[in-house]
Amino acid sequence: MSAMTETLAASVEVVPMSKSTGRRTDMRSRGEPVLWSLGGALAIGIVMILGFLALVFSNGVMTFVPKPLVVVTEGDGELTAGEPFRSELFKPVAEDLAKLSPEWQQRIKDADGYANRTLYRIGNFDIYGEDFRWVPDFDATKFEEPKNLVFVERMEWGPFVGRVVGFKIDGVDQPFTSLDDSKFRDVHDASRERAQDIRKIERGDIGDINHALEQERLNLRKIEMASGRNSAEYKTAQESLNTRSAALQLQYNELAATVSKLREANAKNTLTLAEIGGREKTIEFSALVRAYAANDLSFAQKTGVYFSRWAEFLGGEPREANTEGGVFPAIFGTAAMTLLMVIVVAPFGIITALYLREYAKQGRLVSFVRISVNNLAGVPSIVYGVFGLGFFAYVLGGSLDSLFYAERLPNPTFGTGGLLWSALTLALLTVPVVIVATEEALAAVPRSMREGSLACGASKWQTIKYIVLPRAMPGVMTGIILAMARGAGEVAPLMLVGVVKLAPELPIDGVFPFVHLERSFMHLGFHIFDVGFQSRNAEAGKPMVFVTTVLLIGLVTIVNATAIVVRSRLKRRFAGSQF
Amino acid sequence: MNMDTAVITRPDTTTPNTVYHVKSGGSGTILDINDLCLWYGAAQALHNVQMTVEKGLVTALIGPSGCGKSTLLRCINRMNDLVDNLKITGQIRLLGEDIYNRSADVIALRKRMGMVFQKPNPFPMSIYDNVIYPLKVDGVTDKAFLAETCERALRSAALWNEVKDRLDQSALGMSGGQQQRLCIARAIAADPEVLLMDEPCSALDPIATAKIEDLINELAGQYTVVIVTHNMQQAARVSDNTAFMYLGRLIEYGDTEVMFQTPKSGKTQDYVTGRFG
Repeated sequence: MSAMTETLAASVEVVPMSKSTGRRTDMRSRGEPVLWSLGGALAIGIVMILGFLALVFSNGVMTFVPKPLVVVTEGDGELTAGEPFRSELFKPVAEDLAKLSPEWQQRIKDADGYANRTLYRIGNFDIYGEDFRWVPDFDATKFEEPKNLVFVERMEWGPFVGRVVGFKIDGVDQPFTSLDDSKFRDVHDASRERAQDIRKIERGDIGDINHALEQERLNLRKIEMASGRNSAEYKTAQESLNTRSAALQLQYNELAATVSKLREANAKNTLTLAEIGGREKTIEFSALVRAYAANDLSFAQKTGVYFSRWAEFLGGEPREANTEGGVFPAIFGTAAMTLLMVIVVAPFGIITALYLREYAKQGRLVSFVRISVNNLAGVPSIVYGVFGLGFFAYVLGGSLDSLFYAERLPNPTFGTGGLLWSALTLALLTVPVVIVATEEALAAVPRSMREGSLACGASKWQTIKYIVLPRAMPGVMTGIILAMARGAGEVAPLMLVGVVKLAPELPIDGVFPFVHLERSFMHLGFHIFDVGFQSRNAEAGKPMVFVTTVLLIGLVTIVNATAIVVRSRLKRRFAGSQF
Repeated sequence: MNMDTAVITRPDTTTPNTVYHVKSGGSGTILDINDLCLWYGAAQALHNVQMTVEKGLVTALIGPSGCGKSTLLRCINRMNDLVDNLKITGQIRLLGEDIYNRSADVIALRKRMGMVFQKPNPFPMSIYDNVIYPLKVDGVTDKAFLAETCERALRSAALWNEVKDRLDQSALGMSGGQQQRLCIARAIAADPEVLLMDEPCSALDPIATAKIEDLINELAGQYTVVIVTHNMQQAARVSDNTAFMYLGRLIEYGDTEVMFQTPKSGKTQDYVTGRFG
C-alpha cells in the first residue's frame, strides 16, 4: 500500500503541467467528419427524392398543356406538321452528309460529327402509317406556325393534324368559319350525345338482354346436368328458353333498330380535314373528341383544353390501347382491390398479433413464428403472385367452380384471376406488416394500464378490449396504412391473379350481386407498365406514364394523409398524460 | 486494512423469528398470510412470511428497497400471476378462503380488493368511465346506479367538488394528485373489502401527498387498508399496525406507536432511527 502511494506521488511530479493544460480534443474524437458525412448523406437523400418528384410532376403536369403546331419545310420541299416532341443529338450517315452544303458539313464536323434532330408528333396515322417523324436540323429550311392548323383528337387512329376543309350537317355542306362557331359546336355536342346513347344501349340494355339469355342457357345446362337430356324437366326448360329467347330477340331487334337510326344520323354529320400535304380525310363528328386551333388559342382556351383533358383522364375510359383517354376504370379497380384487401388483412393481422403478443406463451415456438412472419415480409412479391394463381385461383377457385358454377364450365368463373383472388394475394403479402406493427403497438401499452385494469377485476379479454386495443389503435392504424400503401402500389403479383390491360366491366356495378368478386379489373400500377412498355406506340405512351404516375403518387399521398389525420386524432386522446 | 475493526453490525437476516405485538381492530382479521415463500426464478424474494391483517385497520409495510414489501402486497390480489417463472408456497386466506387454491377465481378475488399503484394510472377515457370501470367489467348497466356510485366514490376520494363539472372529460388532463385520487375512487367504486396501496404518494408533491394521507385516514374504518410506503413518517401518520420487512423476511409486525418509539427488534430500531436503509 505504502509503495503504491509513493509511485503515485512520483508520477504526479514527473508529469509536466503544460502537457495536461495544452491538450485539445481533436476533430476526430469530436466526431466532426462523422457529422459531415451523416449530414451529407441526408442531403443527398433529400435531393434524390425531390429530384424524382420534380421530374415526375413537371412531366405529368405539362402533358395536357396544348402545344403549338409547327410546319417544317425540308430541303426537298417536303412539309411536316406536328407538335415538337423532343430533340436529341445523332450521327448522320456519311451519304446524307455528302449531300449537305459545305457550311453544314463544316458545322457538323466541328461538333464531332453530331447533328441535332427533332421529333415531331405528326399524327394522321391512318394516312402516314406513323405517328412521329424525325426532322434533322440541317434538313429544315423554314419553320412556320400557321393559325389555321388544327389539332384533332379522335376516338380512333390517334390525333389528326391539318386544316379543316369543310363540314356537313345532315349531309348539307356548311361554310367553315372557326372551331368556336356555334353551329360547329352544336353538331359536335349532338353527335357525341348520340354516340353516348348508342353506347348506353349497347352496353346497358343489350347487355341486360345478353345477361338474361345467358342466365336462361345456364339454367338449362344445370337442369341437363341434374336430370339428363331426356327428362321432362329438360324439355319444359328448353321450351321456356325458346319462348324467352324469342321474346328477347324481339327486344334486341327493337334496340338494334334504334341504334342503327342513331348511327345513320351520326353518319350525316361529318368533318373533312386535310393534312399538310393536301390529302383529305372525312370523319364523323361522333368520333371527334376534341379539336383546337393550336396556334390560335387564348390563355382561357388553353386552360379550357388543359382541364377538359384532365377531366377526361380522371373520369373517362381508355382508348387507343390505353395511350389516350382516361384511367377511371384503373382508379376504380385499384380502390376496390385495396379496400377489399384491407377488409381481409386488418382483422386477420390484428387477431394474429393479439394472440402472439397477449395470449401465446413466449417461448421458442412463438419466437420462431415471429421470425417467420418477419421473413414473409421479405419474400419477393411475384412469389405471392404464383402462390395466389396456383392456390387461390386454380385450387380454391377451381373447387368453387365445380361446386357452384358447374353449368358454366369449361369457362372458369372463380377458377381464374379476379378481384377476390387479387385482394387475398395482396392480403397475404401485407399481413406481416400489420402483424409487426400491431405487435409493437401492443407491446408499447404501459404495463401500469394493464395492471390497473386487472386490479379492477377485469378479465384479460376485458382488459384487452377496453384498455389495450384502444390504446394500441394509433399503432395498428399505422400498420394498416403501411399495408394499404404497399398493396396499392404492388403490380407484379397482380399480373398473375387478375389484373388485365382492359377490363370490359367494372368490378362493382348495378347488376346483381353488385360486387363481382370473380371479375378481372384494371389497376393503375399495371396501367403504367402497360402504357409504357406494352403499347404499340411507345412515344405516345410516355407522357401518359408520367401523368398516371403523378395520379398514383397523388392517390397514395391522399390515403396516407387521411390516415395520418385519423391517427393523430386517436393519439390526441392519450395526450396530456403526466407520466 | 483489517475490515473487522471498522464493521457496522448488520441485522442478522437468517433468524426466522418475527417479533409480533399486533394491535387488534376489534372486528377480527380479514387476511391471514401463512408461511408464504416466493421465488422469482431461482431468487427467493419472500421467506416464510407469517402475518394477519386486522379488519378495518390501516396496515403499513415498510422496509428498505428490495425487501419484498411490494411483492407481498401484490401477492394479496395475485397481481404477481403476470410474472413468468414465479413460484409460491404457503397460503393467503381472505376471510378464511385460500386465494392460492387451484379452484380460486382470480377475477372474482380481485373484485373484492381495490388496488392503487405507485404511479397514477388513469385509463385513457373520461373521468366518469374511469370511476365506473370496475362496475362496467362486472356487467352493471343501470345508469342511475352507475352515476350514483361514481358520485359516492369521487366524494369518498375527496375529488367530487373538483371534477363534478367535467366528468365527461379525459382523465389524462388532470394533475398528478387528482389522477391518484381518481385511481383511489376507482379502487373503491366497487366497494372492495381490502384496499391495497403500493407507495401511492411516491410520485406526488407534498401537498398532494397530504391530501392522500387525509383520505387514507378517512377511509380507515370503512375499508381495510394495506399500504406499502417508503416514507416512515407517512407510515407513522396513517397506519395502526406496521410491518417491517428486510431482505424478504418479516422482522417485526405490530402497533405502529410501539414500532416507532420502542421497537422490540434491534433491526427495526436501526431502520426507524435511520442507521441503515
